[in-house]
Amino acid sequence: MQEAYKLSILYYLAFSLLLIVSALMLFEHKIGFSFSGVLEYYTGNEEKFITAQSAGGILKIVLPHIFVFGLFAMVLLHFLVFADLRYKENITLLVYAAFIVALLEIFTPFMIIGGFEFFAYMKLFSFFTFLALLLYISWLLFQSITYS
Amino acid sequence: MKFTVIKNLQKDSAMSLILKGFLFFILLYIVSDIFVMKSSFGISADAVSSTLFGSEEAYIDPINESSFLEFWHTQIFFIMMILLTLSAVFIRVAKRSRNIITNALMISALISLFSLPLAFYTSKFFIDIYVISYFLWHLVAIYMIFYSFWKLNARSV
Repeated sequence: MQEAYKLSILYYLAFSLLLIVSALMLFEHKIGFSFSGVLEYYTGNEEKFITAQSAGGILKIVLPHIFVFGLFAMVLLHFLVFADLRYKENITLLVYAAFIVALLEIFTPFMIIGGFEFFAYMKLFSFFTFLALLLYISWLLFQSITYS
Repeated sequence: MKFTVIKNLQKDSAMSLILKGFLFFILLYIVSDIFVMKSSFGISADAVSSTLFGSEEAYIDPINESSFLEFWHTQIFFIMMILLTLSAVFIRVAKRSRNIITNALMISALISLFSLPLAFYTSKFFIDIYVISYFLWHLVAIYMIFYSFWKLNARSV
């Protein structure tokens, strides 16, 4: 890979890190990192004057995220193909994990408003796992680019 | 990203045309972004300050934290995608100074994105840095677009 392209990917990783930080801040501010926070955000809480989310309201938030999660994961993952060969064996597993966890993250709110409270845990789990996977992929790319 | 491995872009008329069309749309985005920001968030230090912290004289309420974080989050995604694709085209067609120009573009964009939350959460001082870096990355991006156009029309790329 040309040096200039490596530079471009390194900056992409820096932007990705910033995107992850902003996602964490946004999630913490709007929903919170607790089981009760997630549940209250989606199913509402009369005492705290939190209105319940409707399926239509969730879909409005989810719609751009479906495209963005897919595109972002695809761009990040496809850089692995250009990276060091020793990582290629694990690529398939990473690709499956990234897309499945992203799907879970996107669609668990519908299960929560459907009455399945357990999915509040799944929402938190998928959110953090997705971010962790993105960080891991970014780390693999960073290592591959800087040490090659 | 097929264009990154084509040996002579000039000979591949279809790919050259596709890239020109793509560059035109990025140019449209960059220019439109300035107008949209002017009418919404502000592009001068005073206007950005009024949006972030409100203005009693102009009866403007400060932006709430939730809206600010959503705005910042969206900006990061759009900017990273636009700049990644633009830099990929530019690196493919440019020979000299491509590292310097790419660094200038990315660093100024990163500074503008970093300075936004710093201005919101810490000090108004960062508003000036945001405005300067915002225009800097827009200018560099516009230069890269026109340079790439010119190179795509040159004899061999």
